[in-house]
Amino acid sequence: MPIEYELPQIIEWLPGALVYWAAVVASLTAAGLLVGFLVAALERGPVVAVGKTLRTVQSGLADLVRISPRRVWALARLALKESIRRWIVVVFAVFILILLFAGWFLDPGSPEPGRLYLSFVLTATSYLVLLLALFLSAFSLPIDIRSRTLYTVVTKPVRPSEVVLGRIVGFAIIGTGLLVVMGAISYVFVIQGLSHSHTLVEEDLTSFGPVLEGQPRLFTGRTTRVNDHRHQVFVDSEGETHVEAERGHWHTLTVSGSEGDRRFEMGPPEGMLQARVPVYGKIRYRDRDGMDTREGINVGDEWMYRGYIQGMSPAALIWTFDNVTKERFPDGLSLEFLLGVFRTHKGDIETGVMGSLSVRNPVTGLIVEVEVFESKEFTANRLKVPATITKFATRDVVQQKIEAPTGVELIPSAADYNPTLAEQREFDLFDDLVADGKVELWIRCLEPGQYFGAAEPDLYLRAADASFLLNFVKGYFGIWLQMVLVVGFGVMFSTFLSGSVAMIATLGALVGGFFVQFMSDLATGNVHGGGPVEALVRLVKQENLLSDLDPGVGTTVVEMSDQVLQGGLWVMSSLLPSFGRFSYADYVAYGFDVSPQLLAIRTLTVVGFVLPTFMVGYFFLKTREVAR
Amino acid sequence: MTSRRSFLRKITYLVAIGVLLLPLFWLGRPATSSTSTGESSPGGILAQLRAEHRLSQADLGEIDPTSETIKLATLGLRGVAANVLWQKANGYKMKKDWTNLSATLEQLTKLEPHFIAVWRFQAWNLSYNVSAEFDDFRERYRWVIKGIEFLEKGVRLNEQSPRLLWDMGWFIAQKIGRADEHRQFRLLFKADDDFHGARPVERRDNWLVGKEWFARAERLVDQGASLGGMSPVIFYSDRAMSDMNYSEALEEDGIFGERARRSWDLAYRGWTEGPVPGDQVPFGMRDITTSFGDVIRLNDREKYEKTLEEMKARFEAITPGVRERIEQQRRARLTPAEREALDAEERTEQQHQLAAEAAIKLNVTYEDVANEMSGAEKSRALEMAKRLSETERITDLIRRYREIVNFEHWRRRAEFEQSDEALEARELIHEGNRAFAQAKLEEARENYDRGLQKWREVLDKFDGLIRDTGLGRDLMDVIIMYRRILDARDEPFPTDFVLQDVIDRHGHSAEGWMPYTDDAEEDQE
Repeated sequence: MPIEYELPQIIEWLPGALVYWAAVVASLTAAGLLVGFLVAALERGPVVAVGKTLRTVQSGLADLVRISPRRVWALARLALKESIRRWIVVVFAVFILILLFAGWFLDPGSPEPGRLYLSFVLTATSYLVLLLALFLSAFSLPIDIRSRTLYTVVTKPVRPSEVVLGRIVGFAIIGTGLLVVMGAISYVFVIQGLSHSHTLVEEDLTSFGPVLEGQPRLFTGRTTRVNDHRHQVFVDSEGETHVEAERGHWHTLTVSGSEGDRRFEMGPPEGMLQARVPVYGKIRYRDRDGMDTREGINVGDEWMYRGYIQGMSPAALIWTFDNVTKERFPDGLSLEFLLGVFRTHKGDIETGVMGSLSVRNPVTGLIVEVEVFESKEFTANRLKVPATITKFATRDVVQQKIEAPTGVELIPSAADYNPTLAEQREFDLFDDLVADGKVELWIRCLEPGQYFGAAEPDLYLRAADASFLLNFVKGYFGIWLQMVLVVGFGVMFSTFLSGSVAMIATLGALVGGFFVQFMSDLATGNVHGGGPVEALVRLVKQENLLSDLDPGVGTTVVEMSDQVLQGGLWVMSSLLPSFGRFSYADYVAYGFDVSPQLLAIRTLTVVGFVLPTFMVGYFFLKTREVAR
Repeated sequence: MTSRRSFLRKITYLVAIGVLLLPLFWLGRPATSSTSTGESSPGGILAQLRAEHRLSQADLGEIDPTSETIKLATLGLRGVAANVLWQKANGYKMKKDWTNLSATLEQLTKLEPHFIAVWRFQAWNLSYNVSAEFDDFRERYRWVIKGIEFLEKGVRLNEQSPRLLWDMGWFIAQKIGRADEHRQFRLLFKADDDFHGARPVERRDNWLVGKEWFARAERLVDQGASLGGMSPVIFYSDRAMSDMNYSEALEEDGIFGERARRSWDLAYRGWTEGPVPGDQVPFGMRDITTSFGDVIRLNDREKYEKTLEEMKARFEAITPGVRERIEQQRRARLTPAEREALDAEERTEQQHQLAAEAAIKLNVTYEDVANEMSGAEKSRALEMAKRLSETERITDLIRRYREIVNFEHWRRRAEFEQSDEALEARELIHEGNRAFAQAKLEEARENYDRGLQKWREVLDKFDGLIRDTGLGRDLMDVIIMYRRILDARDEPFPTDFVLQDVIDRHGHSAEGWMPYTDDAEEDQE
């Protein structure tokens, strides 16, 4: 699964994030106070304004501190009842309708049907729930104000903070309930949609391989075609079977009856829905001169995600793993990797490009080539490094070469270089090849003129699999986080805007949130074609993105306008949550466990957004006459 | 009072809506037919226009309820949705996410089921671009077929598009038969039960299956479907070319003798003047509308040339010496520099330009000649000149159209390939290659020697064949291989080589052919 941004450790992430959050909240608070003070100063003069501002802050803090959970719950229940009356039934009906007809649009014969089905249910659910959250949260307060039901509420002893919080909690609860039901239905839909079986009869099999006492020992054949695919099966005369994986899954095959009258029974698909727990390492590339580099060769791909290395040269793709201990990996290292293969000549068309896997001790430099393999592109290759290595292709002691200001730095240094380490005939993974929990895995391409490519997440150690169901729930938790964010923004906007305007503002925040990275790139000038005004000019004049605009007054005006707009875009991109990052759909669909770290980071981020939106919402509602 | 006015207003609206619906109904009422009474109605204007231009869903192809549902669900934003999906498809392709790419293409074609360019572009994308991304040739084959199946879906929904049918033929024939891995692809194609269904094994050749689709496309055009912007000469050549390519492929697979001869015979007949089985019109006899609007037949060149010669002779007879006189007069009017440029053996750049201008001035048309005549002879000569110019123009047009499809090369090829000598020559060279691959150098050389001798006989038998550049290229490949065999045996290349005339004529343009220099010959000795 491509992961295009680095996943930080929560320990590394939290301090920086907290400081950033505090700075943004402080700036917004200061800006709010300043605006409040200026408005009051214009009305009553600066001296009165100071007192008024202080009193507002004081009463605001009191309102926030004295929030009563009981009253919040009562208001949340009110929001709940309101929601049930308004939108939820419609959304639920649409969801069921979509699932009923989804079979028309989903192709079970696609290369990875599991991925397709999971992406579909997660995306459909998130769109519907986010839309529901958007409508509920944006229209609720304005409708209450217009229909004057809010006046009845505020005559009761409730604080504006409780009104706002009650709405947020109420809508979050309704969204949660809906998500739970949708999740359960989706799960059944996915399991049902992917469920299939094939049949195999004696006539489908032909014998191959050696014959013993006139009797063939091995048989192979293909199953019936279901969902646009078949499986190649292998059966031996003892009844042992092997089913080739196809479309990301395989089946169990059981044989009964005697030879000549065997009956075959295939089980349900396996391996389609999984939650691999990957342990990622840090990648570096070694070029053909043996020097370390941060990036591999670009073989002309527009998407520069993978770096490539040249075959039949010292070049290698190197991953360094930490904390590799006997306790964590008692049976050795199980690893999976995905390689990009690039050929500069046809080579042997019928066989894949040959490569090798080596394990290297990052301190002593001892390297043991444990496996030679034939590459398979776009398919997970699985290999195992045993705890005790008795079979290997080559072994050596190789120094890491790093370009340093003082020259080339060698690890191990010339003084520590000990070639006799490679003279053993057996190696212990943890004693000989792991140093302080660190180990390096090297992938090399063994054919001249051919290239292997990989990015950091393309190779990982595979610990025991997590529960798919739990991962599925985590996927829905990601949608829940998005939903809470939308509710927060919707309620905030609805405290000072009319229903439809609040909806548009929230929708703007939502759409903007999905394009935060683009906005940030646009604001910092990392996008071809200039800022918004320049882009518009180019569009109208049908100019390409790379040529410079003709110098002149017009261009200067365009550039100055863009600078102002880019400032605004920068502020927006810094304030809006990156909605796309909260989606775990890819993790679930690609079969990777959503790590607790990731869950914690995203949850804290949501809390970090919801708190200020609640505060802003509260202050706006407080300033409205209705809540006084 | 207020409620009454409001009620009346609503009633008025309803009546207005009803009244407005009447002309709409009149314009759009559907065509009906009644089998029991024999009465039928052509329907409203819209229905008639739809029928006239064959725009109704049932005319275009199969009706796909999914597609209709999706189109309705986009609430009029179909174009926007298609654009978004197109962008997404490009993104998925860039990021090599093949699962989502396939799914997006599926959705895209549901939205735009009758947009032919979408089917063509994305099928090409799958069969040619996506397939090339895979390292494993079996995966590559799978994606080629995926593109073909995608196109087939397009054909079902657009039964009136000969272009899609032709693309089907092209993908099946050319992508499978001309790829670097065509040997492997052809084997996989023959074994692909899922693709072929009930098609007999002997018909499972990519060239033959491709021909079936080309034939369907031709039939559709014969029924009046438009070719769009496609050149008719290219379009009609492919059905006949499939037989040529099939014959070639047979020999590449090591099948010679009577089967190969029959195949070349069929190819020859399909290319020239038949007879051919079924509804096929031989390519040379096809009416081809040129880009100038003339209708020509490629077989007619010889006929036109003969007519032209006869007409020229008759024209010359009634205008004796006139052309020469005009030429002399015009030459006399040339400037000295132009004359010098015309006569120069080696021209400077300026002289080239002057010579070209002088040649235009010296060009004497039939009309020029006729205009020099007088009396009754003049009108007769003018009439003849007009017909001569027209015949010459058509002859030239046929010549140029023949060149587009290499008509003469393939006609000659299909003719000589049927000869015993050519069949034997091909078989011997094939056996030589097989022996060489197995490192049986002696056997390889013997087969090559005999094969080359047979080629000599072919060249001697078919007059002018040696001038054929296509065959020259093929023979140079054979000669280069022969030299490799000799090199492997440490034997010198014969000085009295049996196909030396082929080397002399085609060696300079053959890739990988290095003529022996004197030094090399000395080294050999």
